[in-house]
Amino acid sequence: MRYPFPVGAVDFIQGDEAIARAAILAGCRFYAGYPITPASEIFEAMSIYMPLVDGVSIQMEDEIGSIAAVIGASWAGAKSMTATSGPGFSLMMENLGYAIMTETPLVLVNVQRSGPSTGQPTLAAQGDLMQAIWGTHGDHSLIVLTPATVQEAFDMTIKAFNLAEKYRTPVILLTDAEVGHMRERVYAPHPDELELIYRKLPANEEEANYPFGDIHGDLVPPMPVFGKGHHTYVTGLTHDEKGRPKTVQSEIHEKLIKRIVEKIEKNKKDIVDYEDYELEDAEIVIISFGIVARSAMRAVKELRKKGIKAGLLKLNVLWPFDFELIERIAERVEKIYVAEMNLGQLYHMVKEGANGKAPVELIPKIGGEIHTPKEIIERIKDNLR
Amino acid sequence: MGWVITMQIRLAGFGGQGVILAGVILGDAAAIEGLNVIQTQDYGSQSRGGHSIADLIISKDPIYDLIVTKADVLLALAQLGYDSTKESLREGGLLIVDTELVQPDKEFTGAPFTRIAEEEVGLALTVNMVALGYLVAKTNVVKKESVEEAIRRRVPKGTEEINLKAFRIGYEEGTK
Amino acid sequence: MYLKSSYEIRDKYLRKDMLPTIFCPGCGIGAVLQYTLRAIDDLGLNQDEVVWVSGIGCSSRVPGYVNFDGLHTTHGRALAFATGIKMANPDLKVIAFMGDGDAAAIGGNHLIHAIRRNLDITVILINNFTYGMTGGQVAPTTPKGLRGTTAPYGSFENPFDIAELAVAAGANYVARWSVFNYLQGINSIKKALQKEGFTLVEFLSPCPISFGRRNKLKTAPELIKWYQKLSVPISKAKEMSPEELEGKVIIGEFIDRDRPSLVKEYEAYKKRAKKAMGWEE
Repeated sequence: MRYPFPVGAVDFIQGDEAIARAAILAGCRFYAGYPITPASEIFEAMSIYMPLVDGVSIQMEDEIGSIAAVIGASWAGAKSMTATSGPGFSLMMENLGYAIMTETPLVLVNVQRSGPSTGQPTLAAQGDLMQAIWGTHGDHSLIVLTPATVQEAFDMTIKAFNLAEKYRTPVILLTDAEVGHMRERVYAPHPDELELIYRKLPANEEEANYPFGDIHGDLVPPMPVFGKGHHTYVTGLTHDEKGRPKTVQSEIHEKLIKRIVEKIEKNKKDIVDYEDYELEDAEIVIISFGIVARSAMRAVKELRKKGIKAGLLKLNVLWPFDFELIERIAERVEKIYVAEMNLGQLYHMVKEGANGKAPVELIPKIGGEIHTPKEIIERIKDNLR
Repeated sequence: MGWVITMQIRLAGFGGQGVILAGVILGDAAAIEGLNVIQTQDYGSQSRGGHSIADLIISKDPIYDLIVTKADVLLALAQLGYDSTKESLREGGLLIVDTELVQPDKEFTGAPFTRIAEEEVGLALTVNMVALGYLVAKTNVVKKESVEEAIRRRVPKGTEEINLKAFRIGYEEGTK
Repeated sequence: MYLKSSYEIRDKYLRKDMLPTIFCPGCGIGAVLQYTLRAIDDLGLNQDEVVWVSGIGCSSRVPGYVNFDGLHTTHGRALAFATGIKMANPDLKVIAFMGDGDAAAIGGNHLIHAIRRNLDITVILINNFTYGMTGGQVAPTTPKGLRGTTAPYGSFENPFDIAELAVAAGANYVARWSVFNYLQGINSIKKALQKEGFTLVEFLSPCPISFGRRNKLKTAPELIKWYQKLSVPISKAKEMSPEELEGKVIIGEFIDRDRPSLVKEYEAYKKRAKKAMGWEE
């Protein structure tokens, strides 16, 4: 198998480019998208690579069409992806819910830009966190990953596909304009070195009759993709285990939705991922994600040099959220700071997790510039005086 | 100027001068040498004529600062670029300018890069490579050979030779 | 033309555990579904390779009743989902079942682009001049002056002519019939299914409960008689003046051509890409 970019090698590339390459290496062979700053580069890279690896990259008429095509392609058997930013992300919400309801594996990249509305198209922000988790209507769950470096953008794209296929769910890769457009060194392993997952197919005709039933006891049904003689019926209406619409019996709805939510919640241990730094004896903890976590890391190092016992919790997965982890940390420290490029979104989740065991303070920043380590340090030092 | 653990470099000019390509090439050269490097850019919406800034942070250590706050080196190829970035040069930092296009208000070094590109290289468009050569000679941030390899990888097919020529002429100028 | 008994068609293709359908007495959707199944049966299409796609509405419920792979999607978006299905697996034959509101209002943009791309799909469009499932609101196809719940004094807007729209956008085959033109309907569907590229067969279909009742056409027979008066065969229409055609609906085959389809164009595109990059075998 030949690849149109270096594999088993290091290259100096943008985050957007890294995401596209990782998708191809993960086996993605269908991409549908619509131009939007700062995600267009992902689309353009996919457009160059896909025809060469016998995949499809197609420009749809809008973002709604893009995610729709991705869902259709997934049911036709392909690993599929689309990428967008704020305004397009908002448009995709309905069909994202459809993908969750029909348990369709797909990867949705949101290269966050400053909003709301048209906002600051070329500048980074972290304002879509709540929307990524809750944006689509109704009760649901899904997985949200968030990289802080270009290497992580690459690695997490591979992980996003694996999680999407393993749990038959959409996975959102929540990045930002800064990571998307900065260049760093990235090592792209050869696919033979990667562990890649493809969705569970039905083992036999009997299994294919239950495309939405927990027949294996792991909350993830087998996926009888189209064209294999299974005659699968997929609908966004509430349905039973066989996929038949059953909209008026509350037990059926409860069973379906609870399983879809528990599919993610009960597998927290497998999905949740974070890094901690100097947390063991920390009195002050900064909790952060994405690009801000790097400034926070520098802030922690500088504070330690000044004799302040600071620590960092860098979240790599924003949903499912480990509320107990936050509580355990809150029990040991004197104060928690949440640094994010918005007016407070992760902050609320951390506050809920802390459960009153430690005060939580928000260090917000909007306008398109990343927190400098100095800004974080100053805020912490101000409070200590 | 010698090597330090971390170097912040800012290249500034106007859109069309190839400032960002120069930044990418310099970053690629650092990457080739196994150094840690982050390269970012900023530009106005016009394809031509607005300001154009390429930032690099190059380090032997893992990089946590992402923003050029105090540039160790500022390269300005146009007055417009200089005016919008001069505050970011740190005290004692190295200012390199195109001496015919920029009137700096602090200590500087440089050469008439645009004229050199026009007259000695034969293509004004290669001003970015001339200036890059000069910068690399003056700072030793990366090896000459690394930049040449990066140039071969990054410039449009068929223009490798002329870009290398421009780089070498600028480098020569920087060693004087 | 020999027609199998409908019981044979029903037993072979319908999902018995999903019956009865939700369709009202007098609804034309069941008839159009039967024509489609007969066309598939006549052509001997592989039941494992046909995928039905639909949006939201009464017409869009059809895939739920047939024993094929089916994707019942979101309102107006069937053709976008279908684009993904077909491009990811060109071996699948995709049929879209949509209503007029779903296809031409919220789905309008996806409709014109699917046609523009000449996506390999057969669209069976049920046009009942209303939003039936939600109770009879006006649709972009409601003739001016006729009533819906959201224009109780008679629609004040001009309607689309979906068949003409499809021709203008570049479809390979477009036909429109009313539900009583069963032979022509079945033949058109067969033609459409065998063609590459975008094919559309529109059916004027009675909706007595949501549309007819509000417009003094309370029963299916009244609606069908009205369609008979309303419709003019395309061959005759060519001889008629615009004044004579005022208020009429043209039926027949509008276009039949063989522009290259999206799948074919993409295959050529891949070859171009590999050649440009020096990747030829």
